[in-house]
Amino acid sequence: MVEIPVRPAILTLDRNPRNLELLGQFLQRAGYQVFPAASLTDFCRALNETPAPRLALLDVSGFNAEIWAACEDLNRRAIPFLVILPCANADLQQAGLAHGARSVLLKPLAGRELLNLIRALL
Amino acid sequence: MKKKASPPENRLSSGVSGLDEVLHGGLIPGRAYLVRGGPGAGKTTLGLHFLAAGAAAGENVLFITLGEPVEQVRRNAERLGFDLTAIHFLDLTPSSEFFTEVESYDIFSPAEVERVPLTEKIVQAVETHQPRRVFLDAMTQFRYLASDPYQFRQQVLSFLRFLTDRGAAILFTSESSPEAPDDDLQFMADGIIHLNYAPEGRTLNVTKMRGSGFIPGNHNFTLGASGMTVYPRLIPEAVHRPFSADQISSGVPELDELLGGGIERGTITLLSGPSGAGKTTLGMQFMKEAAGRGERSVVYTFEEEVEIILRRCDAVNIPARAMLEKGTLDIVKVEPLQYTPGEFAQLVRRDVEQKGTRLVMLDSVSGYKLSLRGQNLTAELHAVSKYLQNMGVVVLLVSEVSEITGDFRPTDENISYLGDNIVFLRYLEINGQLRKAIGVLKKRLSNFERTLREIEITRYGIKVGEPLSNLRGILSGTPEWVKPENDHG
Repeated sequence: MVEIPVRPAILTLDRNPRNLELLGQFLQRAGYQVFPAASLTDFCRALNETPAPRLALLDVSGFNAEIWAACEDLNRRAIPFLVILPCANADLQQAGLAHGARSVLLKPLAGRELLNLIRALL
Repeated sequence: MKKKASPPENRLSSGVSGLDEVLHGGLIPGRAYLVRGGPGAGKTTLGLHFLAAGAAAGENVLFITLGEPVEQVRRNAERLGFDLTAIHFLDLTPSSEFFTEVESYDIFSPAEVERVPLTEKIVQAVETHQPRRVFLDAMTQFRYLASDPYQFRQQVLSFLRFLTDRGAAILFTSESSPEAPDDDLQFMADGIIHLNYAPEGRTLNVTKMRGSGFIPGNHNFTLGASGMTVYPRLIPEAVHRPFSADQISSGVPELDELLGGGIERGTITLLSGPSGAGKTTLGMQFMKEAAGRGERSVVYTFEEEVEIILRRCDAVNIPARAMLEKGTLDIVKVEPLQYTPGEFAQLVRRDVEQKGTRLVMLDSVSGYKLSLRGQNLTAELHAVSKYLQNMGVVVLLVSEVSEITGDFRPTDENISYLGDNIVFLRYLEINGQLRKAIGVLKKRLSNFERTLREIEITRYGIKVGEPLSNLRGILSGTPEWVKPENDHG
């Protein structure tokens, strides 16, 4: 019996629905399963319900410090994640890495680079 | 009769009157042309002419708009009388819902998000309509969809290739500003048409035309009620008509003697003199004689009204009214600021090439310079005069000098180099009486009398006397009689 390769699942979190939609479309085109969340509550639910998420992408724009709790949660579950920042900000960059982000990305994202990074992490 | 290369085969007419002449026949299929110009320069109008000409010839044509919505383009085009029924439109402008409904995003750059759908739409439209002419307004919009200048260049080049490979001729516009210059597009285009706006009038110039020549320099153009009209710059060397340089008589035997027989066809004669000396009448005298031979003359008057000239002719026995009726004379009043030099040149060309005019008088040189809108008017006057000369026309330039008497100057305008012949009129004070004299300062093609003659303008016509050989100091304006030495005996 041939094993059907399972498409890796990626969790995405973004306050801006259009951003979430575009990110989802982009990842789906690249062959991933996408589980989007527009709030921390949704994100926690997705984290618990999604079978074996392989990666998470968190856009911190519009969130307060509670987002770092979600990061800790991901750390405990050993799910690698990337933090997306709206602009270059040394403090946020520091905080993201301190809370276990594999990398901190700045908007706008370059599609090709993002894919390379995701492939390297999976 | 005219030396002009016949348009090479398979050129596409630009649809603009005069522009094909500038482009040596039109645009070449399979090439991409850039139209540059500021806001309101006429880029879209030029594009509409280009497409309408194709549609009229039964070609498929496509208008891709990225800036102005199609409805607006249509409204403006219909006002100019374009028939848009056969023109396909592809509207890539954002709709008003974009502002109110579509949420903005920042996760990816617009280049990543918008380019693919846009490209797909264009490819689809091109595949559907198979256009032979494409007008794209404005190419610079794509700059915002490219992540860097290199990407932009690659995208534009491949886009142009995509269209030209299908045999289409493309006209695309650019919006350039000091912050976002369009030099890169200029390198990529096969030809560049610049539309310039200056207070003196609109001009067009071509700086690049791969695979073709073009008429260099600035050409005047107008944007009128029926669209764009280009007035190609006169290149005197480019037109030529064989003619015999025979002399034409003034009809006054003494004047002909003074001139060594008359004035030759294809020469420029400056009629210079102070106000009221009779320069215009002198010119009209040549026209009266020409009318007798059945030749047509035109006077372009920049200062005097037609009726005044006619009345003055009535008073000196020049039948100008009858000549007008017979068609051997036309008097054209040029209103101040009515024309650019290009438009005026076009007017003159029509008179010469279509109506067969053999004598042209510009009354006056300073009026020409004051009335036409433009810079470098001396050069423009030079071009018109040289053109007329090449066409074998007798050119009379009336030039006023401000001094009534005093030290002699041929003209005030520094244009004496232009004249093949210089005929001057002068006031003389002889024994307390004001009298007039006529003389010739220069004549390129024949000998002439070195003495002055007295001239009188009477109700029977121009009367020229015997040579004033016994006067000394004529050029000072207050000559003295000298007794011939052999009289002493």
